[in-house]
Amino acid sequence: MKTLFSILAAVTSFAALAQPEIPYREYEPLDQYEPHVSGDLKLSGSYQYWKDPAKLDYRMAGNPDENWKLNWKFMDPPFNQAVHGGHFALDRGEKLFKQLDAHHRFAVCLGAKKGKLKHLRAGYPRWRDDLKHVAGLEEVIEYCGARQGRVLQNGSYDNSAISLYLASLGNGQPIAIDVAKGPLKEAFERGRHLFHTRVGAFNFSCSSCHTHNIGKRLRGNVITTPYGDAAHYPVYRTQFVLQSLHLRFAECNLDTRTQPLLPGSQPYTDLEVFMTALTNGYPISVPAERDW
Amino acid sequence: MRFTLVGLILLLATPAWGVDLPPDASVSGGKTMAAKVIVNSGRLEWTPYKRDLGRWLTLSYQDRRATPEPTPFELKAPTNGDAARGKALAWQWCITCHTLPGDEWPGTVGSPMAKYKQFKHPDALVFQQIFDARIFNPNTVMPAYGTFGLLAEQDIRDLVAYLQNLE
Repeated sequence: MKTLFSILAAVTSFAALAQPEIPYREYEPLDQYEPHVSGDLKLSGSYQYWKDPAKLDYRMAGNPDENWKLNWKFMDPPFNQAVHGGHFALDRGEKLFKQLDAHHRFAVCLGAKKGKLKHLRAGYPRWRDDLKHVAGLEEVIEYCGARQGRVLQNGSYDNSAISLYLASLGNGQPIAIDVAKGPLKEAFERGRHLFHTRVGAFNFSCSSCHTHNIGKRLRGNVITTPYGDAAHYPVYRTQFVLQSLHLRFAECNLDTRTQPLLPGSQPYTDLEVFMTALTNGYPISVPAERDW
Repeated sequence: MRFTLVGLILLLATPAWGVDLPPDASVSGGKTMAAKVIVNSGRLEWTPYKRDLGRWLTLSYQDRRATPEPTPFELKAPTNGDAARGKALAWQWCITCHTLPGDEWPGTVGSPMAKYKQFKHPDALVFQQIFDARIFNPNTVMPAYGTFGLLAEQDIRDLVAYLQNLE
């Protein structure tokens, strides 16, 4: 009997090891999202004001109480005609791309069909057979650069500059990733879940602010919708020079006292898929700038 | 009995992989690192961040740590708070979301704190709201300052004294 008890105790212990207990987590209520930018009409409703980036209301853009309703699209081209650091990054990106693509191997590696780069940005993140996972454009730029012996770390200036150049070739093209099936659907669902997962010292999720408190003030800042944000990255910001979407996630983490992850990590890529799907149908608009 | 001992030892060993930071966290030597973008460079520069954030849960799938659960706190009277110190703390911690008297850039995510005295809430309730508001509302976005160790008990007592005297 004693031996039987010992065996049972050991088996139970090993079972506990094989399947570690799921730790306690908290989630914001999981709202329904549409994988299209117009889904914002059911969330903040501000989409009506920034639907057409070429026809933004000048009066709203100049009114600090109302400009958040434009989702900061007045800092994107064609509305924003100013010359800023993003334009210099674009030049750098073009130069680097032409160096790397001298034998057209770089474009092929990035996945451009018949050398056509116009639709590249709009179709990322995508499943990569060679990487065997869903990857964002910046991760693939790093990977394809490394194949030619070039260091282009995900999030670095040169990596983002190439990404920005490729995005600029697709200016006006609507973002179009299909999250209805396959690995992208799985990534979208994981990203949606992460968007609502509470983390960090303040126990915030992304949605604590960007779903449940849109339009409210955090002192000088007004919280905006998560829809439509992926169309202007990488973005020029004076404090961060040129910022990729993954580095923006890291900055959000730091701002909410959460230990950030590395650019290119799977959770950030899943969030990128989620954010990009929420931008489906909105035209790429680069080079854009944002506050400080 | 030997099996029980082996099982027990392995069970005791399990927290070892739950305590470590996940491998995809941007840390070096246990310190939180922030990425710096260097113009015309293919490399990021990593610099130590002003705060170490490793003790709290991350977004990593490999993070097996648990979120601290909602915790009640039984406040023993008297509150003994220093309202002046509470004001300084409120302008440091609360002002981002809550409107405080004298603030020209009010936060509107939380409820306004002006004339808070009029509500005549018991001190214990106000203390609990700051210590861990999840006790009253599991979906609150207000950080649990006590449970997460952001504020000490006396800090919260000072905040209660400040808020309860706002006329």
